[in-house]
Amino acid sequence: MSDVRPDEVSDILRKQLAGFQKEVDIYDVGTVLQVGDGVARVYGLTHALMSELIEFPHGVFGMVLNLEEDNVGCILFGESSEISEGNTVRRTGRVASMPVGEGMLGRVVNPLGQPIDGRGPVATAKLLPIERKALGVIQRQPVKEPLQTGIKAVDGMIPIGRGQRELIIGDRQTGKTAIALDAIINQRYTHGDKAKKEGIKPVYCIYVAVGQKSSTVAQVVDKLQQEGAMEYTTVIAATATDPAPMQFIAPYSGATLGEFFRDSGRHALVVYDDLTKQAQAYRQVSLLLRRPPGREAYPGDIFYLHSRLLERASKLSDDLGGGSLTALPVIETQAGDVSAYIPTNVISITDGQIYLEPGMFNSGIRPAINVGISVSRVGGHAQIKAMKKVAGSLRIGLAQYRELEAFAKFGSDLDKSTLAQLKRGSHLVELLKQGQFVPMSVEKQVVALFAGTFGYVDEIPLEELARYERELLEVMELRHPDILEAIASTKDLAPDLTEKLKGVMKQFTDSFRATVKA
Amino acid sequence: MKNLRVARRYAQAMMDSADAAHTIEETARDLAGVAAALEGSRELRLLAASPVVRPARKEAIFREIFGSRVGKGTMDFLALVIAMQREMHLAEIAEQFALLRDTKTGAVGVSVVAAVALTAPQEQDLAGALGRATGKTVRLRLTVDPSIRGGLVVRVGDTVLDASVRRQLELLKARFIAGGPPAN
Repeated sequence: MSDVRPDEVSDILRKQLAGFQKEVDIYDVGTVLQVGDGVARVYGLTHALMSELIEFPHGVFGMVLNLEEDNVGCILFGESSEISEGNTVRRTGRVASMPVGEGMLGRVVNPLGQPIDGRGPVATAKLLPIERKALGVIQRQPVKEPLQTGIKAVDGMIPIGRGQRELIIGDRQTGKTAIALDAIINQRYTHGDKAKKEGIKPVYCIYVAVGQKSSTVAQVVDKLQQEGAMEYTTVIAATATDPAPMQFIAPYSGATLGEFFRDSGRHALVVYDDLTKQAQAYRQVSLLLRRPPGREAYPGDIFYLHSRLLERASKLSDDLGGGSLTALPVIETQAGDVSAYIPTNVISITDGQIYLEPGMFNSGIRPAINVGISVSRVGGHAQIKAMKKVAGSLRIGLAQYRELEAFAKFGSDLDKSTLAQLKRGSHLVELLKQGQFVPMSVEKQVVALFAGTFGYVDEIPLEELARYERELLEVMELRHPDILEAIASTKDLAPDLTEKLKGVMKQFTDSFRATVKA
Repeated sequence: MKNLRVARRYAQAMMDSADAAHTIEETARDLAGVAAALEGSRELRLLAASPVVRPARKEAIFREIFGSRVGKGTMDFLALVIAMQREMHLAEIAEQFALLRDTKTGAVGVSVVAAVALTAPQEQDLAGALGRATGKTVRLRLTVDPSIRGGLVVRVGDTVLDASVRRQLELLKARFIAGGPPAN
């Protein structure tokens, strides 16, 4: 490199800085009247807009949430202890926004889009407001493609479609996050070559952690990395140490990022984990801004808080590229009380719920899904035909089993058909058990459920069922990949394929039973 | 915390009464004087803020201090404010009254910060230019603050026209950190 002459540098600087003194910066200012607990009241800022970003001293930003007769109420996204009464604040003219783009994939960011994973700035070219109006009727179409979670019980009985909003609800420690994470991990296959051949479009995932422990979030990120799921996933974290305003806006940031993928014709999955804590954060800032409290001290617009968020999940019409945004909100209940305020609100907004029960979880049925009250109101249209055929009778069979189970506990003599139903039911329950982080492809699920609903497992002892399933799938993979291939590509169980599968199944079951007796 | 709602209501009431009596200018001067006295005397401020001193005592004290200096209307107003126990907001009331008077007379208070003292012709030029821009009579309040390095900072209401060198340097720094191309 040749030497840089000082006069050359000053020449360039002079050229670059020409016109420097011409600029007059015009901005609106206000004065802080009161500050504390993550909110501030500001006098002045007469032209401030709703949800506009306000610049406070020391690089703290705030967002306008209340416009009142003589002051403006702001929520602060930073340390409020550095701000004092009388400070001058400045309007930015921007509404609170989130940077979006492919650069976000694989990153851990805060709700303002700033990276918190220590891997340098995020390369994004676009900013979108975090609060956006949900699309109208014309821009949408019914949900039609499946979103495979890789969990037999969910994909079989509570199918989720791309563009759906499915609530995951249950007490603490019942595996709510596990289901959401499995769903994210299972999207890895949509990014592979095989999915491309089958015409399955990739799904980009966003995991929004609200009010969780930082250690939990770190664990989640670590797990996603191990499973190779971070490549197509963004984690937006507003942990328990972050100010309540951050926790309140985090789901909206997630939705905005999801919408970026949706609007460019792609598919996105957003997990809001969890909305109970977001509601609590919103309650906090609302009460501090002196909005009147309502039921359970939540403000009056708490329903709208969640409905406007979840309404942004959608399947776009083909004219708009046919992208989708699927939402998996999580709600934590207290002692199984689904009739509390927030759970009932979110249940009524979503297109169905997956209800997890601590009792089932503790008795070893995992995932602990209560099939009786879990529903999916629109996902059925998205289920592939093969799955519909094998899982159609699963729900009703389990429901009947549950009814009989309570009855049979009295130990009276039971007739033959009742005994058969009980046996089938207990085997189905056993078959639907599945470990965490082992999502299963849809064709394998079809085969496993086929064995259950067509009675092949009825004579296998319950404690041998897990081995039966594992070996059956191994045999299918090694000796009959053509059957799996056919299910995956045709997405249906044609009569000849069914016959073929039945033959294989019978042969395998017979040989398996021989090993059990020995 | 300033209680602007209270200040605005009392100022408006005073304005209505002063308007009826055609004594707006006098009242404005009187109230500004009261505010200045409060500003200047810590004892008076403490007295106004103290809930221990009974209103009758406070009124007597205020009458002794201001009785001969302000008009009857203003004194009655002060007595009312004290009777309603809002005397701790007197400074804000005076401020709001000045704002109301400005709106009424089509004037606007403009604060100008300059790095060095302006000469008289410069001041006139500035007032003229600002008057044309705002369409109102401009009352300049000049302050000298060397920390802005150069240029002017003009504040009209909530809007700041910042032509100071300090602000330019801040923007330049932000631009360098962002690493983007120059804006012009």
